[in-house]
Amino acid sequence: MPEWLVFVFMVAVFVLLAMAAKVPIGLALALSALAGALFAGEGPSLRHLVEGAFGYFDTILIILTATIFIKVLEDAGILDTVTALLLRTFYRSRVLLLLAAMLILMFPGMVTGSSTAAILSSGPLIAPVMMKLGLPRLKTGALIVMGGILGMIAPPVNILIMIMGGGVDMPYVGVTLPLLVLVVPLAVIVPLVIGYRDLRVIGREEMMSILPPALGPAYRFRLAIPFIALVVLMLAPGVTAGRVPDIGIPAVFLCAALVGVFCGRPVNFLKATQKAVAESLPVLSILAGVGMFIQVMTMTGARGWIVMSILSLPSFLLYFGIAVSLPAFGGVSTFGSASILGIPFMLALINKNALLTSSALSAVASLGDLVPPAAISARFAAQVVGEPNFFRVLRHCLVPALLQLAAGIGMLLLAPFLDKLM
Amino acid sequence: MNRIKAPALSAAFFLFLTGILCYFSGRSFRTMHRSETVFPSVGLTDTHQLSDYFPPLKNTHGDTEVYIFRGMEKGGNLLVLGGTHPNEPAGLMTAVLLIENIRGKRGNVIIVPRANSSGFTHSDPQEGNPQRFEVPTPAGPRLFRLGSRLTNPVDQWPDPAIYINPAGQKLSGNEVRNLNRCYPGRANGFLTERIAFAIMELIRRERVDIGIDLHESAPEYPVINAIVFHENSSELAALALLELQAEGFDIRLEASPVNLRGLSHREWGDHAGIKAILLETPNASHGRLKGKPSSSLIVDGKDKFYAKASRLGWLFVPYGEEGIPLSLRVARHLAALKALLGGLAELEPEKAVEFEGMPLPSEVQKKGVGAFLHPPT
Amino acid sequence: MLRIFYHLIVLYLSFHLLWHLFRQKKPWSQAGAALVLTLFLLRLFLIK
Repeated sequence: MPEWLVFVFMVAVFVLLAMAAKVPIGLALALSALAGALFAGEGPSLRHLVEGAFGYFDTILIILTATIFIKVLEDAGILDTVTALLLRTFYRSRVLLLLAAMLILMFPGMVTGSSTAAILSSGPLIAPVMMKLGLPRLKTGALIVMGGILGMIAPPVNILIMIMGGGVDMPYVGVTLPLLVLVVPLAVIVPLVIGYRDLRVIGREEMMSILPPALGPAYRFRLAIPFIALVVLMLAPGVTAGRVPDIGIPAVFLCAALVGVFCGRPVNFLKATQKAVAESLPVLSILAGVGMFIQVMTMTGARGWIVMSILSLPSFLLYFGIAVSLPAFGGVSTFGSASILGIPFMLALINKNALLTSSALSAVASLGDLVPPAAISARFAAQVVGEPNFFRVLRHCLVPALLQLAAGIGMLLLAPFLDKLM
Repeated sequence: MNRIKAPALSAAFFLFLTGILCYFSGRSFRTMHRSETVFPSVGLTDTHQLSDYFPPLKNTHGDTEVYIFRGMEKGGNLLVLGGTHPNEPAGLMTAVLLIENIRGKRGNVIIVPRANSSGFTHSDPQEGNPQRFEVPTPAGPRLFRLGSRLTNPVDQWPDPAIYINPAGQKLSGNEVRNLNRCYPGRANGFLTERIAFAIMELIRRERVDIGIDLHESAPEYPVINAIVFHENSSELAALALLELQAEGFDIRLEASPVNLRGLSHREWGDHAGIKAILLETPNASHGRLKGKPSSSLIVDGKDKFYAKASRLGWLFVPYGEEGIPLSLRVARHLAALKALLGGLAELEPEKAVEFEGMPLPSEVQKKGVGAFLHPPT
Repeated sequence: MLRIFYHLIVLYLSFHLLWHLFRQKKPWSQAGAALVLTLFLLRLFLIK
């Protein structure tokens, strides 16, 4: 059985189930993986299906615990209060507001290397502020996604580079400067492109009238405790060079959530968890389904066929191949794309400065977070702003994403020149 | 009434399906805990557990067998490590081949065939690998596990967001389960760090002079068909290179990078002062370009995608349609081992290590690994 | 210690997934919960 035929069959089954039969995406992926295994003559391969899904187990835990954290903050009234605080501080200046928002959106991603963590933790803080000041819901979603993605590639922690570096024996040292060169201009331009036109400058009275119901001054300092807990737990292991143990992102979110229970209005933690499960389950089952899909692709040789087809492109198309295939493969998994395609591309560009190429490739690969079917970041951002159809948010990400793509490919092309400068 | 009942029924049905999925996949996952039997040659003098050198490892899945072949004559001490990465089968197979064939003559040979024994108990998600591969022997096939590069998360979990290894290098979180990033280990650290610490203890207690860590790499990886050496072993590596080239093996030397920390070829040399060498052979089954993974891909090493990638110039090793079989990869490891010991005897005669019974690399290449293995029981 | 904490997290979330499974009315939502629950149960019982 030719590998491409198995792949085409799997995609066809997926499209049929998801589009025609309206089966939820996660289950459609799982069922098309099962169908692919049967079609390739491998039998039901239950072990393979479950093993593939396990590739995302840690991500699933992060998403669930991060969502619990947000639900607790919401129920405790802390989110509203933070929104009010941000509004009071920044209502007078669009540029300052946008830049501050971008920094807050990026911060959790910079520290954890996870765009999901960024979008889920700081997205709900920023979204209401932006929307109250006139930024349309979909553009707010786009701002949050791009914040998460830029946070993921910004220093100090860029897991994509760690993955690619691991494949070519490049230690994670010295990437801060190239990453700053890449990220800082984008972090300034992107929020202005998305928000400058729509955001309104308002007077004090109008600002007061749109303030959400905040908790009273008695709570003031207590409200900061869950955020302080979150930031301290995320930063401490790195700052103390490992003397404070790294408890992992899921535990960080859960601890911060538990702290949050005691910092605002009374919260029913069980109910908050139920809400979080209900809200995140569609994405969780997509991740499980994607894992199964990839496993069957690999098991039947279809993954090899895809990687080889991309690598067979003539060399003048190499940069085009990078620009298209890295984000496209990210549609199944951004980290997977960095590993499966990013490493061969690093090797293809081995005669250039590896710090520059890995930084540039990470900027390109991170855009995979926007690409369906997984489109993890876009889905979450849509969820944060209450938009059921994430494609509508994606539309507003197009220009910023192209800017980032151009920056990444530009850095690759200019690598020999930049190398001399640095 | 019916409106409440129907969902409960379907929920129970889906729960039942979950049970089925858990049962059948779980049963398959559990089989990975069944270790393959190794049949040591009559030359075996001692068997230890790694926990004998570091007791806290006892009763964990990090504990593993240590086979020792002591020679009658005084000489040096050699450590051979297989299975640091259980998805690199030539390492395990070379170690097993030695254990099942050699007799010590001069100095001592210490062999750990499954250095990361926990890594042998699971497979890498999304790699679609078979759980075992079949090595044909004249009396029938023998099965060996193909594990994961990393320690089983069931034994060591969770991974930190960022891993700062004992040598101070910052790595992506899951490298905390990669034995060859955890040296020199931590006595109170994660399981993988404790395994690394135990191996360092073994090196100290057995007064090892030279350590050889057997690996494989994907054909698209630059460090391949290579001897990676600590700077204290550069002369030894150069001598070995000459001999290997004379025998017709194309191999290259790679100096252990000073800023790449936590690896055996760096930390064994830095912390224990021994000659530290790591050997790499090309293995298609853990590359990114591989076609359908199977026992035959591991043993015969034929892969049309790698052959194509080789034609397109993407690889660091020639990879033809005939593939790179396990027998050739094991033969390369054996030849390198022989050449290194020859070099050691020349440079430091008092530390020479000699043993008998090792199959000739050319014979292994010709007859296959299975021809020199104990028959299956 | 941390491992025990994570197992408690998995236990807690497994319980919630199970609860969610039985509170859902749509079969597809139930199937999604059942799918994710499989992973949690296998980790909870230290199988995968």
